[in-house]
Amino acid sequence: MSAPAHPDSTDLDRLHSAVKREKEDLAPENQPAPLWAIFLLMLVAIIAGGQLGPIMNGAGVSFESSNLFVSSGGGDPRPGGAGGGAALDPFALAMKKGASGYSVCGGCHQGNGGGIPGQFPPLAGSEFVLGGTERLVRIVQHGLTGPVTVKGQAFNTPGGMQPFGAAMSSQDLANVLTYIRNSWGNEATMITKEMVQKVRDEEKRTSQWTTADLEPFAKKDIPGDIPAGPGATAAAAK
Amino acid sequence: MQTTPATPDTDLQADNLRRAAIDKSVKGPVLFLFTNGAFWLMLSTVLGVLAAIKLVEPGFLGDCQFISYGRLQPAHINALVYGWGVQAALGIMLWIMARRSGQELKGGKSLLISAGVFWNITVTLGILSIIFGKSTSIEWLEMPKFVWPVLLLAFLCYAWPIARMFGRAFRPEGFMVSTWYILGACFWFPWIFITANVALHCLPNLGAIGAGIDAWYIHAVILLFFVPVGVGAAYYFIPKITGQPIASAQLASAGFWTLAVLGGWTGMQKYMGGPLPAWMTSVGACAGVLLLIPVGLVGLNHHLTTLGKHSAVATSPTLRFIFFGALFYPVSGLILALNSAFWTGASFQFTQSWYSFQVVSLYGFFSMCAFGAIYYIVPRLSGCEWLSVRLIRNHFWFSVYGVGTIVIMSLVAGWQQGNDLNNPEHWDQSFMNHVINSRPYVVSRAVAWALISFSNIMFLLHLLLMVAGLGRRSSAPTLLEHHDDHALPNEAHA
Repeated sequence: MSAPAHPDSTDLDRLHSAVKREKEDLAPENQPAPLWAIFLLMLVAIIAGGQLGPIMNGAGVSFESSNLFVSSGGGDPRPGGAGGGAALDPFALAMKKGASGYSVCGGCHQGNGGGIPGQFPPLAGSEFVLGGTERLVRIVQHGLTGPVTVKGQAFNTPGGMQPFGAAMSSQDLANVLTYIRNSWGNEATMITKEMVQKVRDEEKRTSQWTTADLEPFAKKDIPGDIPAGPGATAAAAK
Repeated sequence: MQTTPATPDTDLQADNLRRAAIDKSVKGPVLFLFTNGAFWLMLSTVLGVLAAIKLVEPGFLGDCQFISYGRLQPAHINALVYGWGVQAALGIMLWIMARRSGQELKGGKSLLISAGVFWNITVTLGILSIIFGKSTSIEWLEMPKFVWPVLLLAFLCYAWPIARMFGRAFRPEGFMVSTWYILGACFWFPWIFITANVALHCLPNLGAIGAGIDAWYIHAVILLFFVPVGVGAAYYFIPKITGQPIASAQLASAGFWTLAVLGGWTGMQKYMGGPLPAWMTSVGACAGVLLLIPVGLVGLNHHLTTLGKHSAVATSPTLRFIFFGALFYPVSGLILALNSAFWTGASFQFTQSWYSFQVVSLYGFFSMCAFGAIYYIVPRLSGCEWLSVRLIRNHFWFSVYGVGTIVIMSLVAGWQQGNDLNNPEHWDQSFMNHVINSRPYVVSRAVAWALISFSNIMFLLHLLLMVAGLGRRSSAPTLLEHHDDHALPNEAHA
């Protein structure tokens, strides 16, 4: 790293050309900052301040522990998750997933399961939902058309209910059915993936059901094991 | 050729000679740091390619333990941070401070070279230890315990003369703009490095807080060392090359002090919802978002300064790299804010988006500014001009496309990973499914690192030729484009 060894190294003009062509250091100016930028930065400060509240449990600042990501049950609610004692049992998992799957049904039957009088039957307290699981699975799997009476009210929606079997996996269908059987005051046994699969294997019809067709299944439950837990005891409690 | 025609000729001559003398006094240490840094950079990018491939295809190059992902990834990041980053930063700090203060480096040159040699030997040993399985498993501090006191001492050997130059300098109004950042980096790095290493290596039974300290260390090193050096270089070179003074001294001052105050508060939000006291993570999240203010102030200042001067970006290699580096600064601030704010952080937590932040701030912002500085500094030290426009141009474009790909892909991958992990629909999926889902992003990361490696091999080659004195022997600078625009003489651009 000593002096360059090439022959024209004595050419001082060339060696110093880089520093000679340099511009001198300039003192900064005092241009005003645009007002919108200041407002934008104030907005940033407000958003940043917002970080303090929810994580620290709002105004009730706790220096021990409190944060918004831990559910009230404590611990990680995922199966096999850390902390919080028992992992999510199959019934609770089905309810979680069913709740998100229900968004498909909620368009007609409404978020509260109440339906719309004269158009779409309610699910809350419905004898079709709480009755035999054979009939319930078949309705969702293949659809239902024609007049139907639910909780003493007559419904006859043109087109009836569309079949959902082709669009949903048997697991998704089971989750949604478990959800509607155990929401809005409903209490009934869990429906498992195996039960839905059993009906799918037995019944291959392509047309919608009518109430009369379904009469034989009204009181029948699909045989199959229900995992121990609230999903299995709901029927006994009823 | 001179831009200050009012000055008498003899003064100019004296000015030039003084500048040349300053350059000559720091030549040895600065070129040593740049050359070794460039070696480490190339190694790091090659390791980055291998690590990304290993993440997709664990059997690649055989089932050898020394090249498993768990060892390659930390080796890649450590080579990038300590091999390239800190060395390049020290070289730039030394040169800019010497120039700004008008002080020659008086004595101690052999001490600086020895410190540099020790730094490189220690980093080599540290990275070999990682490869041989002796990693400490502490992110960014994976090199074994014995490494940090040596690195600290070597750093202080450089920080001391830099601080002393500042102390002896005549400080006119406007002196501070870039010097602040350089001086700050001199003091902040030892503070951060000592705090983190003492806490993590010397205090027993840290438990969960150790992870928090480590996250703080990573963010503090980025925000209080790499960012100040990058911003300082940008503040120095942009007016130097465009001939346009920094637009606002007040904005510059505000940007510096907000960064100084906020930079050390962030990091722990990485563990929001985790087993740390909630106030730590929330203060970290708050500071992470508030940092958009210094980032915004600096960005605004650069914008006001370069407004209407963008033609020089096409011509001057230095300005082109610095300009794009300065563009990546707001991007890195935004990514930090996204990772920090709890609305988005809940999805980005523990995903590839954190890698995105590290790469955008270390490579996209800091390294691009460092390349710009090196393209400016080296011709003045080696006495010859850059050989090839094509090499510089390739270095630039491959770097920009490579780092852009990594940053965007890691961010999108992080968003997808995080949402999948949080979505109840996926709670009965095994973790491996999420890993497999993110494969395409990792493939793109491997390709992008390969592009960057390619560009850095050219950069290293070019730099070695320059250091060996084999550059172009000419008094005209190497410019990327020549056009007939005489409003701004081309010579002024380099």
